[in-house]
Amino acid sequence: MKKLLKYYLGIALVLYSTSCSQDFLNVDPEDRFSEDVVWKDPALVEAFVNEMYRGLNHGMRELMLGSLADESQFIHNYGSSQVVQSNLTPADVGSFSRGDFDEFNWTQLYIRIRQVNLFKERIDEVPFNEQDELWRARMKGEVAFLNAYFYHNLVRLYGGVPLVRQAYELTSDFQVARSPLAECVAFIVAECDEAAALLPLSYGSGGGDIGRATRGAALSLKARILLYAASDLYNETGYAGGFSNPELIAAPGDRTAKWQAAKDAAKAVMDLGLYSLQNTGNPVKDYTDLFLLKDSKEAIFSRYFVKSRGWEDGALPGLANGPNGYHNWGGNTPIQELVDDYELTDGTKFSWSNPVHAAAPYANRDPRMTASILHDQSLWRPRPADVKEMDPVGKVLIRTVETAPGVFLPGLDTRDGPVEDWNGGYSGYYLRKFVDPTVVHEYAAAGGNQEAPWHFFRYGEILLNYAEACIELGQDAEAQTVLNQLRARAGMPAFTETGAALMDRYRNERRVELVFEQHRYFDIRRWMIAPAAMNRPGNGIVINQALSGTVTYTRNKVQDRAWADKMYWLPIDQQEMNRNTTLIQNPLY
Amino acid sequence: MKNKSKPIRNALLFFMKVTLINLLITSVSVMMAYAIDTNGQEVLDRKVTLHAENAEIKAVLSEIERKADVKFTYRPRLIQNRERVSLNVEDEVLSSVLNQLLGSGLRYDVIGKQIVLKSAEPAAMASMGTSAVNPLAITVSGTVKDEQGIAVPGVNVLVKSTTNGTTTDVDGHFSLEVPDESSILIFSFIGYTSQEVTVGGQTNLNITLAQDVQSLQEIVVVGYGEQKKTTITGAVTSVKSDVISQAPVTNLSNALVGRLPGAVFINRSGQPGSDGSEIRVRGTNTSGNPNALIVIDGIANRSGGLERLNPADIESITILKDGSAAIYGAQAANGVILVTTKRGQAGKPQINFNYNIGFNKPTRLPEVTDAPTYATMLNEIDEYRGNPARYSAADIEKYRSGSDVWTHPDTDWYGAVIKDNAMQDVATLSVSGGTNDGVKYYLSLGSLSENGVYKNSGTKYKQYNFRSNIDAKITDWLNISVDLAGRQEDRTYPTRDASTIFRMLIRGKPNLPAYWPNGLPGPDIENGDNPVVISTPATGYVDDVNNVFNSNLRARIDIPWVKGLNVMFNAAFDESFRPIKRFRTPWYLYTWDYTSYDDNGEPELLRSQRGLSAPELQQELERTSAQTTNAYINYSHTFGTDHTLALMAGTEKQVLKGNVFMGFRNGYISTAVDELFAGNQNASTNAWNGNLLDGKLYNRTRLNYFGRINYAFREKYLVEMVWRYDASYIFPEDSRWGFFPGVSAGWVVSEENFMQSVSFIDRLKLRGSWGQLGNDRMSARNVYDDEFQFANNFGFGGNYIFDYTTLTTSITPTAFPIANPNITWEVANNSNIGLEGTLLQGKVSFEVDYFSNKRSQMLITRNASIPKTAGFTPPKENIGELKNHGIDFLLNFNNSVGTFNYGISVNGGYSKNEMIFYDEPATTFPWQTQTGRPNDTRLMYKAIGVFETQADVDAYPHWSGARPGDIRFEDVSGDGEIDADDKIRMENNTIPRFQGGLTLTAGWKGFDLNILFQAATGARSYIRTQSGDFGNYLQDFADGRWTTENPSSEKPRTFNREDEYWISQDNSYWFRNTDYVRLKNIQLGYTLPSAIISKIGMRTARVYVNSINLITWDSFKVFDPETDNQDGTVYPQKMTFNAGVNIGF
Repeated sequence: MKKLLKYYLGIALVLYSTSCSQDFLNVDPEDRFSEDVVWKDPALVEAFVNEMYRGLNHGMRELMLGSLADESQFIHNYGSSQVVQSNLTPADVGSFSRGDFDEFNWTQLYIRIRQVNLFKERIDEVPFNEQDELWRARMKGEVAFLNAYFYHNLVRLYGGVPLVRQAYELTSDFQVARSPLAECVAFIVAECDEAAALLPLSYGSGGGDIGRATRGAALSLKARILLYAASDLYNETGYAGGFSNPELIAAPGDRTAKWQAAKDAAKAVMDLGLYSLQNTGNPVKDYTDLFLLKDSKEAIFSRYFVKSRGWEDGALPGLANGPNGYHNWGGNTPIQELVDDYELTDGTKFSWSNPVHAAAPYANRDPRMTASILHDQSLWRPRPADVKEMDPVGKVLIRTVETAPGVFLPGLDTRDGPVEDWNGGYSGYYLRKFVDPTVVHEYAAAGGNQEAPWHFFRYGEILLNYAEACIELGQDAEAQTVLNQLRARAGMPAFTETGAALMDRYRNERRVELVFEQHRYFDIRRWMIAPAAMNRPGNGIVINQALSGTVTYTRNKVQDRAWADKMYWLPIDQQEMNRNTTLIQNPLY
Repeated sequence: MKNKSKPIRNALLFFMKVTLINLLITSVSVMMAYAIDTNGQEVLDRKVTLHAENAEIKAVLSEIERKADVKFTYRPRLIQNRERVSLNVEDEVLSSVLNQLLGSGLRYDVIGKQIVLKSAEPAAMASMGTSAVNPLAITVSGTVKDEQGIAVPGVNVLVKSTTNGTTTDVDGHFSLEVPDESSILIFSFIGYTSQEVTVGGQTNLNITLAQDVQSLQEIVVVGYGEQKKTTITGAVTSVKSDVISQAPVTNLSNALVGRLPGAVFINRSGQPGSDGSEIRVRGTNTSGNPNALIVIDGIANRSGGLERLNPADIESITILKDGSAAIYGAQAANGVILVTTKRGQAGKPQINFNYNIGFNKPTRLPEVTDAPTYATMLNEIDEYRGNPARYSAADIEKYRSGSDVWTHPDTDWYGAVIKDNAMQDVATLSVSGGTNDGVKYYLSLGSLSENGVYKNSGTKYKQYNFRSNIDAKITDWLNISVDLAGRQEDRTYPTRDASTIFRMLIRGKPNLPAYWPNGLPGPDIENGDNPVVISTPATGYVDDVNNVFNSNLRARIDIPWVKGLNVMFNAAFDESFRPIKRFRTPWYLYTWDYTSYDDNGEPELLRSQRGLSAPELQQELERTSAQTTNAYINYSHTFGTDHTLALMAGTEKQVLKGNVFMGFRNGYISTAVDELFAGNQNASTNAWNGNLLDGKLYNRTRLNYFGRINYAFREKYLVEMVWRYDASYIFPEDSRWGFFPGVSAGWVVSEENFMQSVSFIDRLKLRGSWGQLGNDRMSARNVYDDEFQFANNFGFGGNYIFDYTTLTTSITPTAFPIANPNITWEVANNSNIGLEGTLLQGKVSFEVDYFSNKRSQMLITRNASIPKTAGFTPPKENIGELKNHGIDFLLNFNNSVGTFNYGISVNGGYSKNEMIFYDEPATTFPWQTQTGRPNDTRLMYKAIGVFETQADVDAYPHWSGARPGDIRFEDVSGDGEIDADDKIRMENNTIPRFQGGLTLTAGWKGFDLNILFQAATGARSYIRTQSGDFGNYLQDFADGRWTTENPSSEKPRTFNREDEYWISQDNSYWFRNTDYVRLKNIQLGYTLPSAIISKIGMRTARVYVNSINLITWDSFKVFDPETDNQDGTVYPQKMTFNAGVNIGF
């Protein structure tokens, strides 16, 4: 027996040592797809394209671009003061180094561009069934559009940027120089043209595709970049102090041809005949609904949200920007300079030196102000339970009320109020545009997400782009016709001016119509009016109601602002300059 | 139990029962795997040839040791009178040789191949004495016991300065005649420190012998085996059960602080259930994952890890600090921690019951300002901005006087939430015993409960654990062990986590009420968070129950036909099941508009719901399994008498798996049923971060071969080589195998002839080692995403919504979007040189090591040289290099004076690392480079005081907008502007460079005292509280701050949140030294006299009181100096007070 055991032992040893087959070391990751699988499966390729859409981000993140222009003040700062005070340096790019602006972040955009290039390199090897070739073409069109979109944001911020047309690997040579501005614009236009040729006009609902790029989206993007390319900033370098590489920031040439190209591109969108202004004849409601309805005819290309998604890509503009007296966070608070630019309903300018205006500054103003901005006494939502007793009506309370001689009750929605005062705004205004009044915004995740879409392109912008090109081409009548469609929808009197006066009114109209839609930051630059627009402090309003009932409105400074010409273009991060020695820094940094 | 017919065997049983080191004598040391005859006859029958002429007896014994392959153990005093002997024997059996050599004055016991020399019986002893017995002698008798109260047989009892003596009998009794009352008795026994007692008037002495922690025969667990401490050539430090059990901690990792030279322990939080210490062996050796490999009972990467093992079950913890860890290959570069649990010892059943109960409280809570100070400071903010002050003088006076507690409270938020004494208790019951020829067992049951420091705490930790370690001798050649251990770790938390609760506490505005004067909870600080409510079960609960089951089946086969050959098999199966339930419910707070009063004129409070509109439940189940199988073969042989060779080789395979399954529902109409089915019945509206149901899993595999070669020449020259050929799933198939060698050598200097005359040195060993080890952990924090970097993969991205509401799936290149096909392990080249010894007959022992470690192929990312236009986050690449060097030391001194015995032990370790290569641009300013500085050091502006006046501001380059009261940053670059050029790289990080311990022990009669001081130096921590109009200030900041009236050049003015540049920009003003010395543990115990307790059937009984972290000396002051949290938003470290009993039957 003992001898037998010895044999068993020997056998066991041999078995054991040979049982260690090494195959089990080849562990496939269980939570991801290998590269080979992806490029063999059209469904996975589409999922990859879906992810690229996320690079579009949206304009309703906590910090909005308007707070880096003369639209609002962001009360939590997040690097915004460096921007509005023109203090950016290659070592400190302020808000643009934060994650809030994926769509305006150099790093994030080039990550998306690598995804684009990876797609372009591999899409032709993906085996589609014959009847699915249209699917392949559509995805190619979508990706071309997305590529153009990503680059158009880079160009708007930096001028000419490195055009990367390959998906780099770890061993690649990464040194790639900036391309001239003209080349970048041409590249974007070419991508738009390719996309327009491949993309459908629209998608039927129920197919799971509404929200994908369409021909209209591609043509709209083309119209926008051509408008920019025709603008002053893209054609002048005088401010740049003898910059050694002017081709990176300007492409002087035949301005008329450029304006004509811009006009034609906008016209191409209008000629699709698919889009029209949101107009039911009720100006406040129409302008409000435009940003809440998912299926407005005015929307050309939009991002949708569902309430179940969390903060990052659910949109919480109500929580982020609502009054602190609603347990909201203040956030992007409109400044007085914006409020003052809303005309009166008769089309005249508002003026503090007009005693009638100054005594009742919110009376008889452009309906779009009501739809965009919450001010003192604006009727808003029911208050949260713990605040309701202090304000059963649910209106915004900014004014300080003298309730007894010498006893002052500060406004609920101010930093002197009793509710979350650290989230109170300084300016006395809160954002209303984009905010769904039917949703409980306080306390995120408690059903507080709204489902209002974000429009990257809407017909209103196309009309404005078209009108601007017309004015620049001296076609004032055509411009008036188009602009007055917008005026009519807004319930405002028509424009009759021509020439420079029309241009002034156009620019104000564009400011008001497109407020907080990520245009103003770029418009004041391309028109080169930023020195005036930004070289003034941000003001807010202080409202006091005396015991007698007399209400006084006093403007006060809430934010220092300053302009320096270097701010026409962003500085390239110094670390990126170090990594890529072929890069040339923008002027004046 | 007395069995006089088998005296040797009985002595053996006792010896094993009492010996400090709990030698696993019968389960032969793997390295010293000699076939053993337990009755010693085989040894005594060995043939010896010996020729000695007037030789030193010590030398003769050494000669016999070599020739007969035995080992003598004796107190030098035993042979002091017989220093020269002559002996000529030819091929005689050892027993005969010994009888000739030792004569009748000495006797001996054989244990394995070890021969213990002892004094002969008293009569014989007396007869050979040189001094005459005093006829007026007093007879003294008594009993000798060990610290556990077990009788110790064979103890030498000697009248000092005479040779008159005796030994204790099998019951520990002795009886001896002494000349007079001033006689001093010396009690000595191997493995124990000797003790001197003055007879005085006593005729009955009860002696308790203290174990000698530096016993020569100490066995140390090493990789895949055990070694005698005397023959170890690597840098190894270990701590035994008696030390581990000195501090009744609730987390094993906290019992080791200050005990193990060269290991750094940092306790970042005291939250019940997650209060473990970060452990770094010899500091930080990599910028990547710095964690050591943890091996429990021979099995690496066990489910559940080290922290939650019951400290009472631990036999020893050993740390392999140098190249000797190479036997663990690609996971060993950061050191290896070997944990060994207790096993049964042959003998009658021993039942031990330990219980301690006590309370804990935070070591330190930040001091924050009171309401009048806070209000004053907010007014200062207004002043600096040119705004009117928000609080009138009358307001501030009201805050101060407390004249209107409704409108002007002065709230102590910490006081409102934190209680002084959170209860905790620990109980362990164990039984062990067995027989050498049959089954030996160690069985234990334990429970632990610990309450959070909140009043009405929603935080609790409860643990139940068991262990069953069984060793069975099946046949002469087969031994089988079965280890089963399980525990339930039950953690309960409020749904708002500790960081939120403590954030609210430190932000808590002192001029807002925690509770209204009528006792109802006040408003929230933010998001419904009032810490007096969210620290309680009022918000629902998180119940996280981790059930861990470890098992190991082990067989040792002594190959019957080859002497010295055996094979070990291990199969370990670990499982853990971890159900977690998060039931979040709305809670209620009371607000007041400061204007409404009820009919009685009382303020009218409004109750409102917070947190959620309806309860919701998230439930998940995490399951992990670990399967490890290994087999290794041991062979050892002594060639001739001088050359001993031991060989070991084996293979090991490991598969680790884990998966998680998760579900969620919201919209509960009631909190009565907290189960998934009772949630919202309309599933489409349920979502938590968009996922209703979720699951994930992982799979990790490793395979390796390893071995060891030991060669010893007369135990004087020692050489060892270990190796491992290791493969891991983390690397690509064609390059996943690596070879990791380690070599070490030792020279036992004290064995040399020229050292024999140096009488104060008992033992002296010089040793050195070098090893190449690997670190295959990809991520600094064990994040799974970092694995599989060798392949391009796509993971799920976020979702994008099409068709208005359709969440589409998206995939994206994973966290590292491109592959690094060449990725491999980090390589450590670790060298060590050490000297260790014992002096003065064991009273002093020391150990000192110098090490120099160089980590190459360190996994870092090329963030500085790959431009962002590349479009990917750089993956880890093996390009970094770092060196780390330092020393560890240990010094013990033990002595006794009369019945008072005491010991001092000092240990410490210092290490400093330096980055040799780190990816950074060539243009980096010299004062900013990471290269040449310790890893993980931050760039900060250098604060050089405060602008006292506007003239100061004008006179020095300053941050745009700086004003008096702001911190002055140094213009390091000298360009007249303060910008990013001026940041300097700090020299310190949050890991101490030096950490050490000083242990003082004392025993007197039944009393024992143990004191541990622990110190750490060289770390710094940043302070950045969330202060201003949304949070309170530290008192430390408020005191002496710059104000218009009292401008300061040292302390800045009141700031608001991060509005001031010197808050938003990291600067050295806030980066504070955290050096500390701490009374880590103090324990006073009393062992009841056995005469009393034996009457009630107890073998031993001891009571004690203890405190951990009682006093801390430091200059950091603000938070506990072990913190690395900058804003006080962690559950603080704790101080505990315990009282306990150890009872043995």
